[in-house]
Amino acid sequence: MTTSTKSTVTRTDGIGASPRRPDGTAKVRGEFAYSSDLWHEDMLWGATLRSPHPYARITGIDIARALALPGVYAVLTHADVPGVNRYGLEHADQPVLAEDVVRYRGEPVVVVAADHPETARRALERVEVGYEVLDPVTDAESAVAGQGAELHPGGNVVRHVPIRRGDPDAAAEVVVTGRYEVGMQDQAFLGPESGLAVPAEDGGVDLYVATQWLHVDQRQIVAALDLPEDKVRLTLGGVGGAFGGREDLSIQVHACLLALHTGRPVKMVYNREESFYGHVHRHPAVLYYEHGADRDGTLRYVRARIYLDGGAYASSTGAVVGNAATLGVGPYDVPNVSVDCWGAYTNNPPCGAMRGFGAVQAAFAYESQMDRLAAACGLDPVEVRIRNAMAQGTVMPTGQVVDSPAPVEELLRRVRAKPLPPEPSGEPDLRTLPGGVSNTTHGEGVVRGVGYAVGIKNICFSEGFDDYATVRVRLQVVGGEPAATVHTAACEVGQGLVTVLQQIVRSELGVERVTVEPSDTTIGSAGSTSASRQTYVTGGAVREACLRIRDALGALSPAELGDKVLDETVEWRHRPTEELHPETGQGNAHVQYGFAAHRAVVDVDTELGLVKVVALDCAQDVGKAINPQAVLGQIQGGSAQGLGLAVMEEIKTEGGVIRNPSFTDYLIPTVLDMPPMSIDVLELADPHAPYGLRGVGEPPTISSTPAVVAAIRAATGRALTRVPVRPEHITGT
Amino acid sequence: MIPFDYRRAGDAETAVAAVAGNPGAAFLGGGTNLVDHMKLGVAEPDLLVDVTRLPFDSVDPLPGGGLRIGAGVRNSDLAADERVRTRYPVLAEALLSGASGQLRNLATTGGNLLQRTRCGYFQDVTTPCNKRRPGEGCSAREGYHRYHAILGASPHCVAVHPSDLAVALTALDAVVRVRGPRDGHGERAIPAAELHRLPGEHPEWDTVLGHGDLITAVDLPPLPMAARSRYRKVRDRASYAFALVSVAAAVELTGDVIGDVRIALGGVAHKPWRATLAEAALRGRPPDRAEFRAAAEAELADAQPLRDNRFKVPMARNTIVSVLAGLTGEEPR
Ligand SMILES: Cc1cc2nc3c(=O)[nH]c(=O)nc-3n(C[C@H](O)[C@H](O)[C@H](O)COP(=O)(O)OP(=O)(O)OC[C@H]3O[C@@H](n4cnc5c(N)ncnc54)[C@H](O)[C@@H]3O)c2cc1C
Ligand code: SF4
Repeated sequence: MTTSTKSTVTRTDGIGASPRRPDGTAKVRGEFAYSSDLWHEDMLWGATLRSPHPYARITGIDIARALALPGVYAVLTHADVPGVNRYGLEHADQPVLAEDVVRYRGEPVVVVAADHPETARRALERVEVGYEVLDPVTDAESAVAGQGAELHPGGNVVRHVPIRRGDPDAAAEVVVTGRYEVGMQDQAFLGPESGLAVPAEDGGVDLYVATQWLHVDQRQIVAALDLPEDKVRLTLGGVGGAFGGREDLSIQVHACLLALHTGRPVKMVYNREESFYGHVHRHPAVLYYEHGADRDGTLRYVRARIYLDGGAYASSTGAVVGNAATLGVGPYDVPNVSVDCWGAYTNNPPCGAMRGFGAVQAAFAYESQMDRLAAACGLDPVEVRIRNAMAQGTVMPTGQVVDSPAPVEELLRRVRAKPLPPEPSGEPDLRTLPGGVSNTTHGEGVVRGVGYAVGIKNICFSEGFDDYATVRVRLQVVGGEPAATVHTAACEVGQGLVTVLQQIVRSELGVERVTVEPSDTTIGSAGSTSASRQTYVTGGAVREACLRIRDALGALSPAELGDKVLDETVEWRHRPTEELHPETGQGNAHVQYGFAAHRAVVDVDTELGLVKVVALDCAQDVGKAINPQAVLGQIQGGSAQGLGLAVMEEIKTEGGVIRNPSFTDYLIPTVLDMPPMSIDVLELADPHAPYGLRGVGEPPTISSTPAVVAAIRAATGRALTRVPVRPEHITGT
Repeated sequence: MIPFDYRRAGDAETAVAAVAGNPGAAFLGGGTNLVDHMKLGVAEPDLLVDVTRLPFDSVDPLPGGGLRIGAGVRNSDLAADERVRTRYPVLAEALLSGASGQLRNLATTGGNLLQRTRCGYFQDVTTPCNKRRPGEGCSAREGYHRYHAILGASPHCVAVHPSDLAVALTALDAVVRVRGPRDGHGERAIPAAELHRLPGEHPEWDTVLGHGDLITAVDLPPLPMAARSRYRKVRDRASYAFALVSVAAAVELTGDVIGDVRIALGGVAHKPWRATLAEAALRGRPPDRAEFRAAAEAELADAQPLRDNRFKVPMARNTIVSVLAGLTGEEPR
């Protein structure tokens, strides 16, 4: 497992075990302190005035009446932003506070600080903003085609990635085509955006916030505040879920601005509705595909055009486009590939990171196509996939050679071999029928269907990004017992990273007591908690630090350290990646690939159009399960999120306006919608990764959606080219 | 939220007087709907008169065999009442299909009946809505209206009433007891089926009640046939979602034919929709699927779906057929 020859004591709570999480009990009891629970004596409350229009020119802002309200301490506009009034993950294109135009409904225009949240809200009502309403751009495809207003200098294409491999004119005996649509999904994390900014005596500010990457926040905040980095210090608050939705800034600059302006601590918390406007969503997509194959199902070529709606600002659209393009044919070996993927600026809500980004949208299309191909060739859907399955050694459409296990065929075989759930018989349990406990059906008109899907996701940051993590590990004897501390800036967002880091230290150093210190910016960056990368990269960095400590220990055991403190700080990187060639999309762009396959079994009430997912079984290769229970949790949660996209989750927009910004109207699966899962976890080591591990979080989200839809198609015979599938799509009315 | 006064009513008379005397006052039940609306700016009462301490918090037998449900009885308690579960299962099922456990623990019988539509535009004060501000126009007609009405709508409003309880009460011929400012010490009785109205030219009025009218109780008639009754709710997920379509029904078989039948639909109109046409078509007819289907089609013949809710017409038809088939033993229960 490790390269060092020194044997370590195998700890019961080390690698491969599933020790109890330090945050688990508090969360279950409702005692965990989330960032929305932050409190400071004397603090003020911040609030945000947002644009009511998807696209408008600002003709004037009058804050006088708001300022006059007793209890109001600050009313700030773009004129009060001391630094660059632009931020963004990839491009700094988003104003901290709108200047001359607003580009989406919900865009922040003014922020206030007041002695009470209600005072702050009333102050917002007294701000007068003049708008000249403009015609919004709301369709990504026509935005790419150059129709409608130019929303940003340089046009409405955020990024175009072409992938060209093999013969562009390849022909085939069997050709299947399709147009597919993916609706706008929301991360639907439970803890709304929140944080507390505390002004410091040195003219700087300390920000406590729920985020996914402290340093990328810091980088954007210092630019907007025009402060040196050491004057803006961030500490992670308790994070109530993320799924990509906390990669972009929300309250960060606003709270700091208000705190510096008033000289008082300022707390900001969004409510649920504001949260829907206050974070990015999953890109809705329109995808055109053509697959050509031999009569026996062997793929000859894939051609695709993919349009992703990035909304008003770029956010991570560029990376999402890169993923959808490079992973656009799926986990298959295809000799001739021509894929074009565009990300567009529109006046819809900004879209960015969400679990599986880019890969999720493409997978719905390519897996639907594989089922069409199977039907056209008279083949079983699993057979056609296995016939084309990529494997170690396969050349990807980018020219990258896959140099670690890619057990696509085995994953498919495994889910197929699992016992099917029993056919409904006798007195059915109402909870197991479509419609659930509302006892909508009693089994009449219910048809069963089975569907398969397999997906691929790149793990870690790609395309030449300098992706690293900094950690500090210390070992000393405390109270007669050896104890280790780990310090990183990596964000625990609920996935269990703190536990995993403890496990690694326990195994590597053979100590029981491992403390993970709060994450903050007093240490270097650990990179983002996204792209399924933290166990890989920060975990890899912790391992490296432990190995150095073991070297320093020499022949001593940790208990024999005496007064000595062994202290190692390392910055650890995964192997480098390359940029894509701008015209051909060729390049070794990805570090690692993750794979999962699902088999979904559904019962469909064909009269009412209701679906009950009876089984959603999964096989996934994780390289090495550092914490098996956490792995299962990720697979279950990811599969549920995929099920949600398949049958219910969608932000409905109308002319750029969100029509369902609440958990009463934006539906996510409940425990009644989600079946118990049978899960196979494969551990085929990736020789390039620490412990051979593979990122776990995203792959299960990717294959879950197409598997569920394939099963509904099998039951109904309907084409179902759009997710989420609604009752009206099933009944065809 | 605007500032408001809060008063706890000690008896019905003062409660009615307090609200009737102030056009800005409102009764407060469990607050699960009204308080949400205050936060959204949809309701801006300056006085809340809490009626949950009034002595209307029990379910009592009525002479003649019916039940009187106090307006303050919580949805959870009502659904758990053994007399309700055995003699009026449709009512317990309707309640349990609504909202969530926490909400049902707070929600009252009176408040549930008077909850307002979930139309997204009604709840979004930045959009035109005739129900919120008469004369502004209806955003839903051409907007996002998948959940909206297929029966009895008007050009002014296409909203549906969201209560599951009200649909069951309508099927059961329940009677709503009201004490208003003009009723002195007495009360009026309004059939549940007539409590809510169709929008017509005045969608701002959900019901026939006037300002200051207090619901004190709901009376259930003895109705032995209700022992064979059922509520089915079709929705986008298996729990905790509003109805796309729901059906409350009770059937009595006399020999080989349907002796009597009660059907009400939810999720299709501005009020719980008593399916009188379907009922009339079924009385005296044999209980088979073809009859059920013909009756459902008769009821829905005048349906006028909107652009994006056409699916509700066959969905309502199929749900009616399915519920009746289940109740008459056409398929295993
Ligand atoms: C997330 C969510 C999901 C829901 N899902 C469902 C569902 O699936 N099905 C369903 O049926 N409902 C559902 N509901 C609605 C819920 O049932 C209602 O909010 C609840 O029944 C209202 O009762 P209450 O006592 O809290 O009313 P309140 O909010 O207190 O009052 C509602 C209205 O009734 C008036 N009022 C209250 N009591 C009286 C009285 N005695 N006399 C006269 N006027 C009175 C008030 O002035 C107010 O106008 C849901 C609600 C939420 C928030
Ligand atoms: S349907 Fe009724 S409630 Fe909805 S917007 Fe139209 S008028 Fe308002």
